[in-house]
Amino acid sequence: MSASAYKYVYGVVHASAVAPPREGIHGSTIELITFGPTAAIVSDLEERDIDAGRNDLMVHAEVLQDALEGGAVLPMRFGVVMADAEAVKRELLERYQDALLSQLAELDGKVEVRLRAVLEEAAVIGEVVEEHPEIADLRDALRGSDQDASYYERIRLGEMVAAAVARKCEAEGQEITLALEPFALAVDANTAGHERMALNASFLIERARVADFEEAVDEIGRVRAGRLRLKYAGPLPAYSFAALPAAP
Amino acid sequence: MATGSVQKGGAASALYDILDLILDKGLVVDVFARVSLVGIELVTIDVRVVIASVDTYLRFAEATNRLDLQAPRGGGPLSGLTGALSGATGQLTEATEGVTGKAGELAGAAKGK
Repeated sequence: MSASAYKYVYGVVHASAVAPPREGIHGSTIELITFGPTAAIVSDLEERDIDAGRNDLMVHAEVLQDALEGGAVLPMRFGVVMADAEAVKRELLERYQDALLSQLAELDGKVEVRLRAVLEEAAVIGEVVEEHPEIADLRDALRGSDQDASYYERIRLGEMVAAAVARKCEAEGQEITLALEPFALAVDANTAGHERMALNASFLIERARVADFEEAVDEIGRVRAGRLRLKYAGPLPAYSFAALPAAP
Repeated sequence: MATGSVQKGGAASALYDILDLILDKGLVVDVFARVSLVGIELVTIDVRVVIASVDTYLRFAEATNRLDLQAPRGGGPLSGLTGALSGATGQLTEATEGVTGKAGELAGAAKGK
């Protein structure tokens, strides 16, 4: 490690942790910079301004995944580069020491699980038409009409459907969250990625409860098979639950 | 383990599934430089933004029609055919959903060379 090189920072761990034995971004060696009770996982960068691509994103995620296997880790957002080893010590580890330590303690033994739920189009639109006579009526009225002449009416129909689908997404999302909340310590709900996404959330879970959580997700999938598709990613480092306070 | 409609990435999740976590969440300090991303911007925009457009409305309107053909009261040989057709359309939609991720991977792969 060169003390004067730019440092790409992956995350923060306890000083007793071991550096993940793998290559870092741009083929560099992963190392720890320790200051007191905490350490930063870093690798050298030859220049401050590098272009990063898919491989670098993967490396960032994999280094943190490895670190998580070794114990508590606070993941940095992708792309943090500091001036040199001294800057990592002073501007990160020393300056935020109290916050880093308390978050490491808080997140120890916990992981993030990411869950997305998407309503199946055919199923959800079937329900919408069945439950809303005004939608079924407009649909029937437009049947066989001239495509150009009915353009605005078709948009109006689509808007009504979209609004009803959005309400279904919201209700479904709430229901899933309610069912899973008992297994989680915290939930971070994000904006949906598209118009049939009912849930896009991260759950903070005790490692020991991950199997129970997964079982509960499986059950939701079983009950809603054909109506809902679930995407489960985890266990992950607690990206959504780690944050630094405003500069102390 | 993976049952019914649950698709699992486990710890080795596809990058696409955790892309927004890596880019939007996690610690930042105020004294730092950030590397520039090549070919990723497009993906993240697609991941983050929901556009309820006229296209969406027209597609939904069209979908209500497909639906009716799919489940006629009597259910003759024709209904089986249209059912299969709308099933194929469904698969197309799924494929389209995957395209965003693929586009990102391609852009990333181009950079990785």
